[in-house]
Amino acid sequence: MNRPFLALIVALLLAAAVARAEEPQYFAIRNARIVPGRGSAIENGVVVIHDGLIAAVGANTIIPPAALMIDGKGLTVYPGLIDALSTLGLAEAAPATTPGTARTVAPPPSTPSPPGAEPQPPQGPEDRPHTTPWVCAADLVSPADPRLGAARAAGFTSAMVVPPRGNIAGYGALINLAGERPGQMVVKTPVALYTTFTVMANWRRYPGSLIGIIAYLKQTFMDARYYQQAWAAYRAEVNGNRRPAHDRALEGLEPVVAGRAPVLLAAQTEVQIRRYLELGRQFGLPFLLYGVHEGYTVAPVIAQSRAPVLVSAKWPARARELDPENPESLRTLRLRDRAPSTPVALEKAGVRFAFYSDGISSYKEMLRNVKKAIDAGLPAEAALRALTLTPAQLFGVADSLGSIEPGKIANLVVADGDLFAEKTRIKYVFVDGKMFTVPEGEARPESAPAVAGTGARKTNREVN
Amino acid sequence: MTTGISSIALAAFAVALLPAVALAASVNPVLIKNATILTVSHGVIRNGSILVRDGKIAEVGQNIAAPAGATVIDASGQFIMPGIIDAHSHIACDIFHETTLPVTSMTAIEDAINPTDIAIYRELAGGVTAVNIAHGSGNPVGGMDATIKLRWGKTAKELLFEGAKPGLKMALGENPKSAADPPPPDVPGRYSRYPLQTRMGVEAVIRQAFTEAREYMKEWDEYKRKAAGGGRNLLPPRKDLKLEPLAEVLRDERLVHVHCYRADEILMILRLADDFNFKIATLIHVAEGYKVAKEIAAHAAGATAFADRWAYKFEAWDGMPYNAAIMTAKGVLVSLNSDRVPSEGGGWSWLARDAAKMLKYSNLSDEDALRLITLNPAKQLQIDQRVGSIDPGKDADLTIFDKHPLSNYAKVTKVLIDGEVYFDREQDLKNRGALAKEVQELMEKEKKAAPRGPAAAPPAPGTGPAPPTRRRPRQNETGEVLQ
Amino acid sequence: MKRRLVVLLILSVAFTLAASCLGQAGSAKTGAAEDLLVIRGGTVHTVSGKDIPNGTVVVKNGSIVAVGASVAIPPGARMIDARGLHVYPGMIDARNNMGLTEIGSVRETSDYAELGDFNPHLTAASAINPASEHIAVTRANGITTVLSCPSGGIISGQAALINLAGWTIDEMAVRKSAGMIINFSSLRGGASSAESRRVAELREFLEKARHYAQARAAEAPDTKRDLKLEALIPLIKGDMPALLSVSSARDIRSAIEFADKEKIKIVLTGADEAWKETDLLKKKNVPVILGPTFESPRREDEPYDRAFTTATDLYKAGIKFAFSTRRASSARDLPCQAAHAAAFGLPEEEALKAVTLYPAEILGVKELGSIDAGKMANLIVTDGDPLESRTQVKHLVIHGRVTSTENKHTQLYRKYMARP
Repeated sequence: MNRPFLALIVALLLAAAVARAEEPQYFAIRNARIVPGRGSAIENGVVVIHDGLIAAVGANTIIPPAALMIDGKGLTVYPGLIDALSTLGLAEAAPATTPGTARTVAPPPSTPSPPGAEPQPPQGPEDRPHTTPWVCAADLVSPADPRLGAARAAGFTSAMVVPPRGNIAGYGALINLAGERPGQMVVKTPVALYTTFTVMANWRRYPGSLIGIIAYLKQTFMDARYYQQAWAAYRAEVNGNRRPAHDRALEGLEPVVAGRAPVLLAAQTEVQIRRYLELGRQFGLPFLLYGVHEGYTVAPVIAQSRAPVLVSAKWPARARELDPENPESLRTLRLRDRAPSTPVALEKAGVRFAFYSDGISSYKEMLRNVKKAIDAGLPAEAALRALTLTPAQLFGVADSLGSIEPGKIANLVVADGDLFAEKTRIKYVFVDGKMFTVPEGEARPESAPAVAGTGARKTNREVN
Repeated sequence: MTTGISSIALAAFAVALLPAVALAASVNPVLIKNATILTVSHGVIRNGSILVRDGKIAEVGQNIAAPAGATVIDASGQFIMPGIIDAHSHIACDIFHETTLPVTSMTAIEDAINPTDIAIYRELAGGVTAVNIAHGSGNPVGGMDATIKLRWGKTAKELLFEGAKPGLKMALGENPKSAADPPPPDVPGRYSRYPLQTRMGVEAVIRQAFTEAREYMKEWDEYKRKAAGGGRNLLPPRKDLKLEPLAEVLRDERLVHVHCYRADEILMILRLADDFNFKIATLIHVAEGYKVAKEIAAHAAGATAFADRWAYKFEAWDGMPYNAAIMTAKGVLVSLNSDRVPSEGGGWSWLARDAAKMLKYSNLSDEDALRLITLNPAKQLQIDQRVGSIDPGKDADLTIFDKHPLSNYAKVTKVLIDGEVYFDREQDLKNRGALAKEVQELMEKEKKAAPRGPAAAPPAPGTGPAPPTRRRPRQNETGEVLQ
Repeated sequence: MKRRLVVLLILSVAFTLAASCLGQAGSAKTGAAEDLLVIRGGTVHTVSGKDIPNGTVVVKNGSIVAVGASVAIPPGARMIDARGLHVYPGMIDARNNMGLTEIGSVRETSDYAELGDFNPHLTAASAINPASEHIAVTRANGITTVLSCPSGGIISGQAALINLAGWTIDEMAVRKSAGMIINFSSLRGGASSAESRRVAELREFLEKARHYAQARAAEAPDTKRDLKLEALIPLIKGDMPALLSVSSARDIRSAIEFADKEKIKIVLTGADEAWKETDLLKKKNVPVILGPTFESPRREDEPYDRAFTTATDLYKAGIKFAFSTRRASSARDLPCQAAHAAAFGLPEEEALKAVTLYPAEILGVKELGSIDAGKMANLIVTDGDPLESRTQVKHLVIHGRVTSTENKHTQLYRKYMARP
């Protein structure tokens, strides 16, 4: 280990030992290769971080004397990576079991009817089943989530996190993956409405099937618009008119109806992609698709719709135990073979897309999977963009995240080589200008849970 | 490259090349010659030819010359009949049943069509070209249906039978009834849908639903009247996706197909329809239809039945294969249906075989029997202007058999839809090798890429790709899935 | 005294005459005790040999006594004019639950699946309902004999080979215990360790039966009677075949290995993947009773006609097979299932044999399956090929008795056709 480096470590440790409030606010990484994420790379440059923001970037930037120096020789600085759909930071979403299992919601406890009373009427759409748009991820995040360390260690500094349960689960928030207090993590909220086509209650309560869920969503979004209309009409002339009822769910959908938060729709196969592009169009609301493994078959169709997509970076994998006498279908084999070519197909067709973790077992694995997409033809800079600037744009935070530009939030990754190369080690990560050193000998990060909605296909099978 | 698709192995390529292929097909006329043509509408033509232009039957007769550039199909020794139409099926959709409420008219099969369901291809292999996909029979008022052509390889949208009048499923009898007690929370699969334990309750639910629809229509009519009269600050009524299809039924904009078994419930629904001033388009299964054929004919409802399935449920105890014969004799428009629920390893049959059985159980002629699976279902679905017989002007939906279709020794050799070949047995046989080869190649490729074995973590449930057609075997009416 | 004797004589003669008249009337109604029946003028399809145009079949006391082109017609025979018609052996459904079930969804009407794993002592014959409506419905389509099988558990019980006519099981039964049904494919599934354990349990059970047989034969003291083990003795001795229901290729290999180790004679039933194991089946000479031909493939990638062509694969490999429909309510569909295989490559004569001669041979029942002198008189007279759906059965002869083709469905037809 070289001396300046050692000195730095000691300095940091001392700094940490002194007092929390005394943490360094001024850094300068010099002699580093800088990949800003927008514009060309700087082979030998400086990044100055001050008070949580990027103060300066350049080849010949003057380094303020107060800044803590970080020798970037042999290192590359990237914008911090963004996981475009996740449950990081949500303590209640940390799984006790296999990631990706859609936990079913227990139906609200029904008061047992007294003997002789009328039997309970069945629940209908007006009971707003599995619809909780008043739930915002921003209200649920916590910096204490143990998974955050592993995410940072892989170079992720932000994530768009959503409440995982329900058909209309609630609003996602764009958060940074560190903070002293929960509120400090939030960059923007609400950012998108998260929905799933998962059958929530074992077909005992409406909606208990895919066709039921689709009909329910159509009705609910229509009702949300109507709700605004009804209240506006009432407010225009209160006297002499009956008031509409208050509906917590429809109130909660106002940002969607007003176009401020797009709707997220799960779509993995070609059939689903086409189906939900059409459904999104029918809703008449801005929307994104997430999943999109079979996007390689229909990239031009997606482009034509102008819908952005979130691509699951958890490529389909072969099951551990395969019965040689029960061969997998050609369809399954083809998808496994070609899913990693979806990103390059989307790129060529001009579709805006970002990557997300989809409950993958480790973020290192996620980057390896992004590398597979690069091997399948996706240009490396496009891959990086799909992990940085594009998610920032899709969620309306491109003014403050997604690239290394002055004035933006100081979220950075410092690695000892090309980010997508197998052997590369990440040395430091900055989140809101706070420096994290990645320990040597990467600890096995804990799993991030799958976002429940990628169980979309489960709907197809639950009710059979 | 053949004009058309003949197996799953080519389906993906087909979709990609679709515009080119479709264009080629619609530009070139097709002449099918030297066959015995079973027109169904006007008798049999021996040594006959059919000329197809732009997807329509242009000419039918003997000695038709092939125009320049025509694709010629020599059907010597073979038999051509109109593409078979299945008036009641559950193929080609990811799910066809919302079982949680007694009235689910807001749900739509069209929202869940799966054009990659291998069952589509297998039905083609049985000579079927058009199908009505229905909601399940667990609810007195079920969901909206979809009529499709089996254009294997095309998208969900492209499967839809353009202009077909939409329909709504209803169901009577044993299936919609269920336990009235509230289910224990930990018992899966039981649900409470008051008031549905009796046929009385079924009737009441349907009556209530249409009454609500009438009220709904009144509200909208009232609003439109006020708006037309220049009313200000008017709030329209809330649009209700459940009541809209019922209103469409009352306005004769949507057909009604009712699953029913017992004679008394058949009469009940005919009476109810009369009360609300709409017609029942078809009675499905209608096992005891023969007992009340007179009343069915008077209402002018169609009937779509099984050939000889019976005794699988109590309400099917008096089912019998002379059903179609008696109903036809008494003036009812009768068709045969498959009620197909796709399953792997499950029971199966062909409608052509079912039609052949009717010859044993009736005095129907060959042409009458074929009509049960072509023109009659076309009329019931109100698509007979387009399909159901071999007449100039109709769509070129044609099925070619190597022997007379009513022989149990016959099999389908080719199927055309809109003049394009969608099933070709010769091509299917040739493709089998290619399919197996591709599977081998992909498996080899994977082995080479990961010689140490499969990925460390198995895909978490719900996040891996799920082939849409692999399902646990399901049961249809007759419980005919064999596991 | 003399007068009394004369009166007695006259009375006894009158009585005998009256009795014989009544007897005759009785036999005309019930078809019982009909001594002599002749079917002539039709094309006789013996199945075992060449067709005989304008042939004659003579039936006496339930058996065929003569078949040929120019056979002497015994006097006093009831005549069936088969001119322009065809005479075939009655068809045999080699695996069904006829008489053990009435309405599928009504549990109270089902008697084919008992609780418990090892039930060799249960016999279908003890529970078959001779008044089942399915019997008359099925025979009207030319099926005269059915193997009615228990199912469920591992050793389900003993199947009965029954004619579809008779007031009681004794009158119906051709073989009250025609074979031991073993649900072999139920042993599979789950971890392979669980699977081998289940096979081991089955083998242990058979071993117990062997010891029991030994002890009984040696009249060892203190050997308590065990009806279950006793029921296995004919199987162990080789006097009764075991019918093993199997599905996959792995099942088939496993079943044959089991049979080798246990040294028992087996027939495989179901066997959808028999086409994968033709070499083994041929080598071990194992016959196969196929399920319905009309089934959809088990996997998405399998060709659409995978199930339709299995019979042809077996035929080409020289393996003996028969068709079955499995269920009482679809038993009349047997000829359609056979013809469908012929549509997909099986020679038509083979399809016919697979519902007549071959099931009889597979079940070791020499007296059925063809029209030959000495065989049981199970005959159908049709207006065409019985495997074609438009064909009608005009006359039905079961165990030598003319049997009506009337059934629940024909009755309902007449009743409701006549509704004004």
